[in-house]
Amino acid sequence: MSRVSHLCFSALLALVLLAGCGSDESTDEVTPKKDDSGVATIDITFEGDTVKPQGARVEVVAGEPVKLRIDADQGGELHVHSSPEQELEYSAGTTEQTITLDQPGVVDVESHDLEQLVVQLEVR
Amino acid sequence: MFLVPLHGLGGAKDLPIPLPLAVAAATAALVISFCVLALAWGTPRYQDARPGRLAPAALARLVDSPRFQWVLRVLGLVFTGYVAWALVWGPDLVINPALGTFYVLLWVGLVPASLLFGPVLRALSPVRTVNLLLAKATRGDPASGLIPYPARLGYWPAAVGLFAFVTQELVNPQSAYLGSVRLWLAAYLAVMVIGAAVFGDEWFERADPFEVYSNLVAKLSVWGRRQGRLVLRSPLANLATVTPRPGLVAVVAVLFGSTAFDSYKDTIPWQRFVLEVGLNDTLTNAVALLVFCGAVGLTFTAAAMSTGVDRRTGSGDSDVRRSALPDLLAHSVIPIIVGYITAHYLTYLVEQGQSTIIQLSDPMVSGDNLLGTGTWSVNYWLSFHPSLLAVVQVLAVVTGHVLGVVAAHDRAISLLPARHHVTGQIGMLLVMVGYTVSGLYLLMGGL
Repeated sequence: MSRVSHLCFSALLALVLLAGCGSDESTDEVTPKKDDSGVATIDITFEGDTVKPQGARVEVVAGEPVKLRIDADQGGELHVHSSPEQELEYSAGTTEQTITLDQPGVVDVESHDLEQLVVQLEVR
Repeated sequence: MFLVPLHGLGGAKDLPIPLPLAVAAATAALVISFCVLALAWGTPRYQDARPGRLAPAALARLVDSPRFQWVLRVLGLVFTGYVAWALVWGPDLVINPALGTFYVLLWVGLVPASLLFGPVLRALSPVRTVNLLLAKATRGDPASGLIPYPARLGYWPAAVGLFAFVTQELVNPQSAYLGSVRLWLAAYLAVMVIGAAVFGDEWFERADPFEVYSNLVAKLSVWGRRQGRLVLRSPLANLATVTPRPGLVAVVAVLFGSTAFDSYKDTIPWQRFVLEVGLNDTLTNAVALLVFCGAVGLTFTAAAMSTGVDRRTGSGDSDVRRSALPDLLAHSVIPIIVGYITAHYLTYLVEQGQSTIIQLSDPMVSGDNLLGTGTWSVNYWLSFHPSLLAVVQVLAVVTGHVLGVVAAHDRAISLLPARHHVTGQIGMLLVMVGYTVSGLYLLMGGL
């Protein structure tokens, strides 16, 4: 019995450690760069049927403004799935939109034209 | 302007739980599981349907009085009618209350309601009431149909129904549009009413996805029945009274697998994977949902059967076929499901639930305030306290895990021959720790 328990215990420990390690390596959380006035800025580029980034996670601070600088070859809309939801329009060329998220949580910013997740804002 | 999200309802999601908290919870789950195996009681405590304490006579009289039962049925029917008005004639906007009622109040709300009050859906079920009224109109018996319900079907129809619901919720790209909800509910109504006409009202206990889900969660409440009389029991003793039937494993696999998939599909690795695969998103998601549910079902079945059994017939009361074990142990996944659902849906229920209650005052989205809730505003207190929220989520997962392990232990020692008591439980323990660790991993945002 003790050998069995020991084996079982080690196996479980390994499992937990594995889960713990798994979380370290592939984290690609980005802290957004600041513009000249100190506002966090995220660059988004639309080109034909593609958008960059394709689902990056960006940490932002609750209650502080976030600027989205959108470079696009044609106009469209970004959907910000905060509570309540917001919609940002952009035109061909460069558009700057500033949003402020007050409530902590994870907010998806999606392009519904492309049906793609662009960035996930981790509001803390 | 009202926006429809790409997947279902809901705005902001919960922040990932912090890594140290997740590791602490996983370690706790592991140590407690080990202790249960090594130290817990060696004779079953919950298996002979503990009598429980009789409920106060006045309460039992009220609950069992036909008048009270009719009040609940009428409430269920009137509320369903009110929401059906919004569903059929209301505008196709995401703030139409029919959507929030279907996905939030019904699907998520039934869990706390059943946990607190027992099998509430059965009491309110509009399809049951329709069947009852039809039987009254034709002077038939609502309980009997054309043929008796075949016992070997067990819970399989409910498993199919639950899978149909989670596919609609999590996979159907049209899920936040009224058309798809109308279609789903029309099919549900048809299957329920025709099924009840063929098999009698036992059909609802085996096939109605909402009623079956609610009845299973209600087994974790303190409300039970002994020879028809209302009793109070400890949740673990009550849980042991779940009747094992074919398909029970499939039901719990769909409930747990689909909630895990709901967490997973929002992670960036999955979103990127869908993009890279480049196939139809709906198809990729449907396959993934099936894989998640299948994985839970298969791992659980394998774990339950990974034990020695006595093959000799007539060798005493521990004579149980290996293939019967999964369904006999499946009740122990219910606390794990409830714990994980609590962690996953708590803010969703509290915040989207409030929105829905506000929207219910304005079913035609024309500025009405029919129920007086239209002027309320949503309280986001829970979201503003993410540390507290994370602790509650983790406690829910660990509590569910511990109850699951104890329930499985108690059932295992009543089924397995004495010499397999310890070794026969190791597979199940490993799988349950696996479920809990995966659940915690997904609550960390699946990074």
